[in-house]
Amino acid sequence: MAILQRFLLASVFVSCLVATCYGGVSFKSLHPTLTVTATHKEGVLKAGLDNITVTWALDPSAPAGTDASYKTIKVKLCYAPVSQVDRGWRKTKDDLTKDKTCSHKIVAKPYIAGGAVATATWTVQRDVPTAKYFVRAYAHNASDMEVAYGQTTSTEKKTNLFDIEAVTGRHVSLDIASICFSAFSVVSLFGFFFLERRKTRIAEAK
Amino acid sequence: MEGSPGTSMHGVTGREPVLAFSVASPMVPTDNTAHFDLPVDSEHKAKKFKLFSFANPHMRTFHLSWISFFTCFVSTFAAAPLVPIIRDNLNLTKGDIGNAGVASVSGSIFSRLVMGAVCDLLGPRYGCAFLVMMTAPTVFCMSFVSSAGGYVAVRFMIGFSLATFVSCQYWMSTMFNSQIIGLVNGTAAGWGNMGGGATQLLMPLLFEIIKSAGATPFTAWRIAFFIPGWLHIIMGLLVLTLGQDLPDGNLSTLQKKGEVAKDQFGKVLWYAVTNYRTWIFVLLYGYSMGVELSTDNVIAEYFYDRFDLKLHTAGVIAATFGMANLLARPFGGFASDYMARHFGMRGRLWTLWTLQTMGGVFCILLGRATSLPVAIAHMIIFSIGAQAACGATFGVVPFISRRSLGIISGLTGAGGNFGSGLTQLLFFTNAKHSTGTGLSYMGIMIVACTLPVAAIHFPQWGSMFFPPSKGVVEEHYYIKEYTEDEREKNMHLGNIKFAENCRSERGGNRVGSEATPPHA
Repeated sequence: MAILQRFLLASVFVSCLVATCYGGVSFKSLHPTLTVTATHKEGVLKAGLDNITVTWALDPSAPAGTDASYKTIKVKLCYAPVSQVDRGWRKTKDDLTKDKTCSHKIVAKPYIAGGAVATATWTVQRDVPTAKYFVRAYAHNASDMEVAYGQTTSTEKKTNLFDIEAVTGRHVSLDIASICFSAFSVVSLFGFFFLERRKTRIAEAK
Repeated sequence: MEGSPGTSMHGVTGREPVLAFSVASPMVPTDNTAHFDLPVDSEHKAKKFKLFSFANPHMRTFHLSWISFFTCFVSTFAAAPLVPIIRDNLNLTKGDIGNAGVASVSGSIFSRLVMGAVCDLLGPRYGCAFLVMMTAPTVFCMSFVSSAGGYVAVRFMIGFSLATFVSCQYWMSTMFNSQIIGLVNGTAAGWGNMGGGATQLLMPLLFEIIKSAGATPFTAWRIAFFIPGWLHIIMGLLVLTLGQDLPDGNLSTLQKKGEVAKDQFGKVLWYAVTNYRTWIFVLLYGYSMGVELSTDNVIAEYFYDRFDLKLHTAGVIAATFGMANLLARPFGGFASDYMARHFGMRGRLWTLWTLQTMGGVFCILLGRATSLPVAIAHMIIFSIGAQAACGATFGVVPFISRRSLGIISGLTGAGGNFGSGLTQLLFFTNAKHSTGTGLSYMGIMIVACTLPVAAIHFPQWGSMFFPPSKGVVEEHYYIKEYTEDEREKNMHLGNIKFAENCRSERGGNRVGSEATPPHA
């Protein structure tokens, strides 16, 4: 037991050393210096079928030199607050390494200085769940840390939201296979049962 | 029949010894006319437990039985490691996920009660096959699920399959002598429970393979469910074709026997229900087995969300929780027996309390862990504590009553499932606190609900803190199960013999006989 105790203590000690605690970038420290828009068809978008066209550019009113450190722009699909209710795995946290608001990547492109508007078109992927969304773009520096952002909605994330409807994941072929195997299970069970009963009756009758 | 006191009873305890792999001949006479692979008694039940044999009928039954039970655990908890995908597909809230977890363990509370009757009517072979093959369609139903309600309903129906526990134990008792049935049943139950761990490895792996074959995530998880479904069908067919109800293969004899062995159900139920120890164990098992089942349902999702792991990495870690059953549960039984040799029943009770409380403490720590290696370490110790406590529970249960052991075991088992459902409802359904907080609260509840072990007092052996009552011997306690009329009909003779056999529960140097080596 003493050896076990020592081993446990040692492993806990070592694992504490292994555990790193960098904080990530704080979202509150970022400035919304990018102007982002997202255009799509009217109504509910269907995953796997419909497209979203996103554009991003440096806000013209931003002071010169703001974008000196921007190297990459990563555009993401983010959950609106109403779709985060009762779903802790989509929680918004200030520490961007722990934040789960924007879990779906739309596109990542290198940043081109000069104020031109960049565009990208993206087909909504099949693993996007049914929810209300907005689009946010993060500007990353050379060490891949977020330095600025821009989003299609207001700060409270209440305006300009759009709905996406997920694929069901069901297929007719799956349904048919499922029914076939279920039927096989039940039929073979009862078949066996009655066959054996008949065999014992015949054997007893002899 | 009995020689001088003590000699023929060497090593025989009231509880079938955990480590006994065989029963020596003077204790149970061997039937030498039978031609079986293993030595058998007069009913042709095996006296020896040869683990790596598939010989017909005894060991073959053992393997068919535990693997069927294992399969049902796999399918009941198959959704758990895939919840991160399923919750996006079906737009589930935390409440829906929690409710599905509760549903998955509640179904079997009822099905286990019915299963006893089914085994009596059709025999354990058909009982097992019926259950396994009739729940196969419910597993395939996952391909149709498109809403939270459907998901909860299907998990409830799949949960019925956990009643294979009853057919498993019933079938073992027709094939193995009662002196070794403790070990056999304990091993089968523990290895079946491993299915809850194996599924956390299997399902994410299947999901990844199917996804890389081209399916989208929301279709891939549905296809993955076909594998547990096929396992149900395969095991059902194997049980039907390779299994037999009795060592001699004759079902009708079983039914005749059933009539002879029956006691009055009402009386048996009364003695089970009016013994306060039964209810303490119903509570206790809810916080050893119950928390094991609850953890099987939430642990993969916990690791996936809290530590940002990949789905199959979370599955591998979660699997180690359930797979610890391979050794942890038998270890609990062994620890209980070992402590009993020195300290008697008091040793068993302290062992149970220590193991279960240790599990609880590390569950609290698991919920608060902020780094992955620490969380894994705490989880492993928690699993050993909880599962060993399950084994240690059944180190004490056989002594509560001999007449009503079946019902008390059944009630204890039901308490396990009920505890699981309750814990999931209280701590893992509410979105107000995270899974980590839920685990810590569950740990606190484990520690609190293990305290009643101190209240278990046997007049002949004492309790955790109090010595035995003066002048009370084992016979006094066990004879009370039969009324005066029944004693006049000599219905209590089995209990007298049982009482003699469990004198070893006094512990240490108060017992005359010592344990014999297994192959004496």
